[in-house]
Parts: sequence; structure tokens; C-alpha cells
Amino acid sequence: MNVVEAKDLARDYEFGAERVHALRGVTFEISEGDYVAIVGPSGCGKSTLLNLLGAIDQPTHGSVSIRGNPVAGMSDRKTTEFRLRNIGFVFQRFYLMPTLTARENVELPMSEAGLGKAERGDRARELLKYVKLGHREKHRPSELSGGEQQRVAIARALANKPAILLADEPTGELDARTGAEIIALFGQLNTDGTTIIVVTHDEELANAARRKIHMRDGLIVDG
Amino acid sequence: MRFSLAWSSLRRHGTRTLLATLGVAVAAAMLLDMVMMSTGLRESFRELLTSRGFQLRIAPKGTLPFDTDATIENTSAIVATLRANPNITTVSAVLGGTIHIPIGNRVVTSAALGIDPKVQGDYELISGRDPLGPNDIAGNDDFLKATGAKMGDTLDVASGYDPQLRTYAGSRKLVVTGRVRFIYGAANQLATAMQLATLQEMGGSDRKDDASLFMIKARNDSEVEGLRTWIWRNVPGVSVISTESALVEVDQRLSYFRQLALILGSVSLFVGFLLVTTLMTVSVNERISEITVMRALGVSRAHVVQQIVLEGVFITIGGAIAGLGLGLVTARYLNSILSSFPGLPVAIDFFLFQPRAAWMSLGLLSLSGIAAGVYPSYRAASLPIATTLRQEAIA
Amino acid sequence: MLIRLLSALLLLQQPAHRTIAIDERLAEDAHIAIGDKLVVSAKPGATSGDTVIVSAIVKRGADPAEIARSEYQVRMHLDQLQQVVAYGDRVDRFAIATRGDSATERALRDINASAFGFQAHRSRDIAVGTSRTFQVVSRFHKAIGVITIVASAIFLLCIMLLKVEERRRDVAALRLMGISRATVVKGIVAEAALLALIGCALGVGVGWIASQFINWFYQGVYRTPLYFSVITTPIVTLAVGLSLVLGIGAGLLASLRLVRTPPLKLFGR
Repeated sequence: MNVVEAKDLARDYEFGAERVHALRGVTFEISEGDYVAIVGPSGCGKSTLLNLLGAIDQPTHGSVSIRGNPVAGMSDRKTTEFRLRNIGFVFQRFYLMPTLTARENVELPMSEAGLGKAERGDRARELLKYVKLGHREKHRPSELSGGEQQRVAIARALANKPAILLADEPTGELDARTGAEIIALFGQLNTDGTTIIVVTHDEELANAARRKIHMRDGLIVDG
Repeated sequence: MRFSLAWSSLRRHGTRTLLATLGVAVAAAMLLDMVMMSTGLRESFRELLTSRGFQLRIAPKGTLPFDTDATIENTSAIVATLRANPNITTVSAVLGGTIHIPIGNRVVTSAALGIDPKVQGDYELISGRDPLGPNDIAGNDDFLKATGAKMGDTLDVASGYDPQLRTYAGSRKLVVTGRVRFIYGAANQLATAMQLATLQEMGGSDRKDDASLFMIKARNDSEVEGLRTWIWRNVPGVSVISTESALVEVDQRLSYFRQLALILGSVSLFVGFLLVTTLMTVSVNERISEITVMRALGVSRAHVVQQIVLEGVFITIGGAIAGLGLGLVTARYLNSILSSFPGLPVAIDFFLFQPRAAWMSLGLLSLSGIAAGVYPSYRAASLPIATTLRQEAIA
Repeated sequence: MLIRLLSALLLLQQPAHRTIAIDERLAEDAHIAIGDKLVVSAKPGATSGDTVIVSAIVKRGADPAEIARSEYQVRMHLDQLQQVVAYGDRVDRFAIATRGDSATERALRDINASAFGFQAHRSRDIAVGTSRTFQVVSRFHKAIGVITIVASAIFLLCIMLLKVEERRRDVAALRLMGISRATVVKGIVAEAALLALIGCALGVGVGWIASQFINWFYQGVYRTPLYFSVITTPIVTLAVGLSLVLGIGAGLLASLRLVRTPPLKLFGR
């Protein structure tokens, strides 16, 4: 079953008088349980594509569906709700809330989804144990290393059991050893059934994926 | 979760939060003081006027009580006319004057009220007894201190003084019978009370049957306006003043303070709002990426706005509570300045604390705190997610 | 001829009405014009008294003691007023003009030494003595002014702190480049001084406009030519001086706080 279907997806940006075609009509599908790496040189449109798949941007034309739900053209409220329940995002810079503890960061999406305090507390602890940070739940991001912060971010992305996990350069801010730990974690997640799409320059991360999509100049050239 | 996120965001920048709260506290204090001042004088004056239950006052035509030296003649006939009305339960005639008490080679000058002790509404007896006899006199603490008189002492009292001949007229020996507190007395004002007939006689033939003021108690409050009209028809040459009309006159004379209160109160509210808005704007601008990530995670715009608005509300409420204490202290200080107005009854307060005023100030401030956070947070929560994250990453 | 003589005799016997001057407020409110006949009496509500003719309408003086009192003023010949109020051959006071300060001192001495119970005062001493009401108002205004200054200082410090902190990344970058703390502080203080100057200019302008409005409004309300708000050079100097001190001081405190923080911490690392 296809989790993601993109048809002729395009995104243009206006920079003053100039119009940049970041994506020029991209079509592909991603099946349930797939682990896809989107690779390509800088400026090829990979992050733009990820943003469109994650419904945090709207295409100029074309369509994208997540589990059969077309996400383009939805109202902001519906899109936000959809993101909350169906998409998990992992960013290069982690973007944890600095004033919250690790557990509270993981609880944040669950709180928004309306889960009760006890339930979300239990699930947060469970997720933190999964990413091997059960003993650090009370620590704030400033007390965690880069790798630990990224693992908390991954746990947060999994909070509401999303259909897909999207990761934009998840190892970009990490050293090689820590990056390898994250790569291993992604592998573990995919083995346990999570559909993962990563955008990366990291060869090791790209090689760890089961499928690569190569992009250049806003188009898919391979994969 | 929004509650704890807002609280932890404020704690993150402790100094800033504290300063902003202090700023709001000062604005709140000023606002509370101005709200108290705008209604305090009026309510304080109303309390004073109604403290003894007299709803109407009669003064010489075109004047307010004791505003001028003018008097009303034929007091006895007027009292009889008034008492004949079954809707009037009490009539108290009062004559105001000045008395002089030579003591050694100095002279003590004091205000004097001629009253009927059985129905008077001008003083409260602290010790001793009312001046029930024709040769009795009661004085306030300032008078007793100035004359050195004690209960039972006899004083040579005169009502008139000729500065050219340096002689006294209307002299009489009066015995001090009581120590009193004058309800309408100004600060440090020497004042005495004696029988109405005594002061009239001391005033000579000019004042034989005069009064400066009549105070009237109606049977029911609902009859006051009707009585006012009746008195106006049956007692010529006088002005009839109800509590409400007296308050209107006071409002008019002291309108400056109400206007000042309105202006300063508005400025305080605006400045407090400006402070919280600036704080919220800076705070939001610093956290654009956090806010955008929350949106990317699926937190709705409304919830983002709520969380940030909560921060503004915390600061505002914290400041308002601190401001309440500060406001009461500054109100006391400002009241002590204004209470030294010459001739103002010492019982009058310019700043009267009313719970309604406190709630109103708190409410206004809370609303401003909410409003201060809404725009910057809404703007931040409405930024396009992908573009903003990209810009923040570049920055 | 006889009739003419009789008419002249009759005219001679009719009493000529005395004249009075009334103030413009009374003339306006009671619609009285010059030449109108009025009846004056000392008894409130009286229907009979002396008939007089209004011969002049007088402008009110800028006397602060008259504010908030709705009194009217009437000027009469002294002897007539003495008779109307049954004062006899008495007055409340004499006003004396002298030929200079030394003459004033001599006159004061001579009058107060006389045997007949007169007390002479300098006019300015009386003004001070009867100004207690305005002294109270003045003290009240000063107190409000002090509170406002304290509040403004706190607001200014808070806002300056916020605005300077907003630029902490810029400051961190400068410090990492090798720019000294002193240079950074000087830059921020210079900005604060410029803002304070601009703020002062705006504030003086707003204050001047507000002052004009206050005078226009209250002169209308109280019907007086009195000036309620006057902006003087010392006031402007104090306001500008204080604003500059507070503005620059706030900028200095905020910038010192910022440069004491290690640059990397300012970057959030």
C-alpha cells in the first residue's frame, strides 16, 4: 500500500523579480514500511520536496497524498491537525523546546492531540527508553549532547504514531560517531515498521536506506 | 502543558521578566490610584454627608453651607414650619461664627457652632457631656490644647473684636463641659460648640434669630425630592441642597482631579500595555524557530497564541498584584498631601479604596496583558513554516 | 415758564441712580448690558433694595483663588456698599501704593507702630499666606511627577534591556571578531543617546502641545484668563536632562550586562 503519492509536484519561489523553480514536476510513490533517502547536490529541491510531503508548505501545482489524503489545498487548521496525527518531523537542528525537559518535549505533540497527562507521560517514557534515553527524561536540552538531543527529537516525532517519519539532514549537526548512532536508530525504527523518508548529504545515512531517490535541478533523475 | 511552557519561558529570562513585572506593577499602582481618586472624593464626601442621617440642608439663597458669612433670619419660625411637616423627623438649626478667648496677653480665635445638642449632627462627643446649658461650651482637641482648658474650666468668650479700639463685644463666661470631634472639621482647626441661643445672643441684635444652616432628616429617602420642593415653596429666600445636588457641586468644583485621574489612568494603562507588548514582541522574535517548529509538529495557531498570551497574562497579573500593594501605599502618601487642603474636612479622603476599583484596575490590566500578546504571537504563528525554518537556519 | 420751572424742580428732587461695574461672567450669565438697571441688596432672596445702573463690565483677573468658585464680582462705590451691607464707616482693608521699596519699609514700620490696632502686610506676604491651596496642588503635582519619573525609569530600563538583548547575536559576532567590550558598549550607548535625544525632542513637542490644550480647555471650563500650564526653560532643561540621563543610563546598564556574557553563550551554545 502506498503511504505517499506525489504527482507532478512543483514549487516556485519569488525572490524579488526573480522566480525560482525549486521543484519542477516530481512524481513518485512510497510504500508502507519503506525507508527512502532523497539525495542530491545543494539547491536541487530535496528539502523543498520534504516540506511538501510534510504539509508544511503548499505546492505551486501538483498533488501529494499521505495514506490517500490529499494534503495540498487544505485549510491551515486541517493541515495542522493532519501533521499532528500523521507526520513526524526530525530537523537538522533538533529544535527542542529549551525550557522543557526531555520527557516534556516528547509529550508536547501528545498534549496537543488531547492525550491525558498519565497516558502521555507513560508513552513519553516508553519512547525515551526506545531511543535509549530513559535515564535522561528530566534533563533539559542544554544538559544533553547533540546526539541525545536528536534522539529526543526522534522520540518526539514518534509521539502520535505518525504514518511517516520525515527527517531533514538528521545527522547534519552531529559528529561521525553520533551520526552513526542515529543512523542505527533509524534502521531500528524502520525494522519495527516505521516508514521513513530522509533528506541527506550523508553518504552513510543514504546507504543505510533501502531506496534512494536522486534529484537534480528540481527533478528526480533516478529512483 | 501550555501553562508550564509559558511559565518556563518566563523563568528562562528571569531579569527581564522581573523588570517587566515591576514595570507593570508601577503602572498598575498608578492605575489603581487614579481609579480610587476618580471616585474616592465623591464617595468619601457622600459618606460624610450621610453619616448622621441628614438628607437635606438649607443654606442662604445662592450659597452652599458655610461658603459665605450670609445667614438666614427668622430661624424660630422656619424651624416651626419645618417641624409641622410630618415627613420631616428632625430639624437641626446651626449658626456659625467666630469666638475670641483672651488668655494672658494672647488671644485664641476659634470657630464656633451654635447648635441644639438634642438634634445636632455636627460633632461626636468623646468625653464629658454636650453643652446642654446656656453657659456651656464644648471644644475639640485643637481648641482645648490652644486654650489649655480642661473639663469644668470657665473661659471668657467674646464673639466680636474691634481691632481699632481693641475691644471685645458679646462677652460671656462659658464653662467647658465636653471634648468633641467635629465631623466636618478641617485639620488643625480650632472649633467649639454651644447652644444656638447663646451664640445668637453673643452676636447681638444683628443675629438674634439667625442661622447659617438647617439640617433635615426625612422620614424616608424616597420623600427627599418631594420635601425639597415643599421647602422651596414654603421657606423663601433659601437654597435647599440634597446630598445628590451637593455632590454635583463638589464634582464641578473638583472636576480637575477627576480629569487628571482619567488622563493619568489612561496613560498608565497604555504604558503598561506598551511594556508588555514590547516584551512579548521581543520574546516572540527570539523564539520564531521554536514557534515555527511547534507549528510544524502540529500545534495549532490558536494554541501557540494561547501559550504566548499566557506569558503576557502571567506578567500582568503578577504586576497587578504587586501593584495593588504599591498603589495603596502611594495612595496613602498622595492622600496625605491633598488632605492638607485648607478648609477641607479632615474626614474627606481623595483616595478611597473600593474593592470595585481594585477589580476594575485588575480587569483592565489583564485585558491589556491579553491584548499585548495577541498580535505578536498571531503574527509569529502565521508565518509560513518552511520559509521561516529555512530563514532561521540561514540566520 | 412756570411749567418748565416745576419740571426742572421735579427732576432735581428725583434721586439719581448710583452706578456699578459687574464682571463679564455675570454679564454673560444674566444677560446684563451696560445701562441696565439692577436692584442690589445684602439679604439673599430680597426683592427690594438699592436701584443701580450698570456702567461698566469688567474683565476678570487671572486670580487662581477664583477657580472652581462660581462667584460673580460687583464693584460699587464704597459708601454705597457700606450702606447696603450696613457696615457703617468701616472697611476690611486698605491697599496702599508707595514710592518704592524704602518707602514701603517706612510705611510698614509707621503703620504697625501706631496705637490703633492696624496690621500692615506686604502684598507678596499675603499672597504667600493665602496660597496654601495652590501649595497643596503644587506638592501633589510634584509627587505625581516623581512617581512618573520612577515609573519611566523602570520602563526605560526594561525596554532597553529587551531591545539590546534582541541584538545579542550581532554582539556575539562582533566580540568573536575581536571587537572589544568597550567599543561595543560605546556603540550601544551612542545609539541610546541618539534615541534619547530624539525622544526628548518629541517629548518636548508633545508636552508643548499638551500644555496649549490644557490652557485652552481649562480657561474655557473655568472662564478665566489664568494659565494652568506654563513651560519654562528650567522645566525643559530638567526634562531633557533627566531623559538623557535615564536613556543613556539604561543603555549603559543593558550593554554592560550583554558584554559580560561570553560570546558563545550569546549564540546559544
